[in-house]
Amino acid sequence: MPLTREEVAGIADYARIALTDAELDEMTTYMNEAVELLEPIRQYDLEGVEPTFHPIGDLSNVMSDDVPDTSVRALPIDVALENAGASRDRSFRVPSILGDQGGDR
Amino acid sequence: MCAANLDQLSASQIAAGVAAGDFTAVEVARAALDAVEQRDGEVQAFLQVSADLAIAAAEATDAARAAGRPLGPLAGVPVAFKDNMNLVGTRTTCASRMLEGYESPYTATCVQRLLDAGATPVGKTNMDEFAFGSSTESSAFHPTYNPWDTTRVPGGSSGGSAAAVAAGEVTVALGSDTGGSIRQPASLCGVVGMKPTYGAVSRYGVVAFGSSLDQVGPFGRRVEDVALAMNALVAAGRDPYDSTSQDCPVDFLEHLEDPVEGRTVGVVPQLLEAEGLSREERTAIQQATVALEAQGARVVEVELPNIASAIAAYYVIAPCEAFSNLARFDGVRYGYQEPGCSTLAEQTSLSRAHGFGEEAKRRQMLGAYLLSSGVYDKYYYPAQQVRTLITADYVRAYEKCDVILLPATPRTAFRFGEISDPTEMYASDMFTISNNIAGNGGISVPMGVGAESGLPVSVQLQGPAFKDRSLLTFARAIERSCSAEGVVAPAFAGKGGELQ
Repeated sequence: MPLTREEVAGIADYARIALTDAELDEMTTYMNEAVELLEPIRQYDLEGVEPTFHPIGDLSNVMSDDVPDTSVRALPIDVALENAGASRDRSFRVPSILGDQGGDR
Repeated sequence: MCAANLDQLSASQIAAGVAAGDFTAVEVARAALDAVEQRDGEVQAFLQVSADLAIAAAEATDAARAAGRPLGPLAGVPVAFKDNMNLVGTRTTCASRMLEGYESPYTATCVQRLLDAGATPVGKTNMDEFAFGSSTESSAFHPTYNPWDTTRVPGGSSGGSAAAVAAGEVTVALGSDTGGSIRQPASLCGVVGMKPTYGAVSRYGVVAFGSSLDQVGPFGRRVEDVALAMNALVAAGRDPYDSTSQDCPVDFLEHLEDPVEGRTVGVVPQLLEAEGLSREERTAIQQATVALEAQGARVVEVELPNIASAIAAYYVIAPCEAFSNLARFDGVRYGYQEPGCSTLAEQTSLSRAHGFGEEAKRRQMLGAYLLSSGVYDKYYYPAQQVRTLITADYVRAYEKCDVILLPATPRTAFRFGEISDPTEMYASDMFTISNNIAGNGGISVPMGVGAESGLPVSVQLQGPAFKDRSLLTFARAIERSCSAEGVVAPAFAGKGGELQ
């Protein structure tokens, strides 16, 4: 069953990418072509085959000692804010999160 | 030493010349900047030239020599970095409007290690936007032109790095390879390009695309230059800032000139019959096979039965990882921010819509779909199971051979706009992609120019995990017999870059 334009619009909403009507048409065509390319994956009988999520099999969580690492990796606040679109008082600045209520003043 | 053009010197000759006082690192840096000035107008390999950083690094190298301090193995060697690698004092744009003004807040480990070895940073190179592509055409800023024929693409996504080396603008460049993005442009530009085993080189400070697939590696005009760069990348051991980084205590130069006599090369008959493989690239495989046999290597046939599904597995795994990684571009902490939005959700959706180019949107949309409820079980999980089968194919093959010889790319460099269908472009990586899925190393080795096209042809060698040194030994054996090492694209050789 091919993906419909409405379904693709739903995915765009979920992916937080505002597509124009024209883009939505092209994207629908692309998505259906791309999904067709993936068809070989569905032809396998994979009963009993373990998945490989990562080429290095024995990865485990890396825990650091609980001491501040300010000398090396922690970015100074001014460097961390340097690339932000908007900042104020040592913070990133964003528009209202909850619609009309509680907007930035 | 009499005057020479920088593009004729190997990395070790430059480092030795600087150490011996035949020329200074600053003279080398000026020659490299002159070569970029004279050549890059036609190639457009660079997004940014870091002249001040280059001169400052070279001055530091000269000062170290004057003070009697030991110099690094890349002392004074001009290098370039793909523009997804952070270097303080440069922007890191990923060739995207999204990161157009992004100032690197810190320096990537791979970049730092070349600088620690004494290299001179000449600039940041063009790429497909966020590394999504095989032609560098998806750069938001400008195309890069193949130095062998400027009506054609340099390949991608690390097309700028490959072209900068091919045109003799720098001696070594770094790229990143998620599905073939070092080996395919190296092939199209007639240079050596290596993707090391996953984990050999730190990914810290490299903008992530597919975190279980991405690996940084070097380009050079000689196998030896690539080996020297690999040494610098791994010498300091595992990087505590990348939890997947591994200790790789290997001297890549040590066995470079070893004979291949008695060692075994695998060929995969099914791949040589692959649809779309050009006659020239097939001939290159035959020539390399003959050359290796003449040097005493044994050639055996091996099978990789599941490799035909590698593109499908990749286009599940890579878009899902890309969607996850690129979710960070929300227009808040960095990246393009849409002005005048009244809510955060609107700002996020419009910043992403207007900051990302078409292919970046496509990949993220595909990933978002494949990870959605109900679809995950149909594609994502089975793709990771197929990954197990592909990896097992390689393990079985390497029981019979030391390395596998196969094409790097189906055909020589194509024209701008020639491949406009995105899914057709994906086939450019048909011979490289399975290696990323398995996490093994691979290298593209130039084989001169094709008899019909007059464009660079190549072969690829793949090897078992963490046996990257064997790849270099076999690549050197091929280079010895089949390709004049150190070749600069003829239209650019000797243009600027005179070392006075």
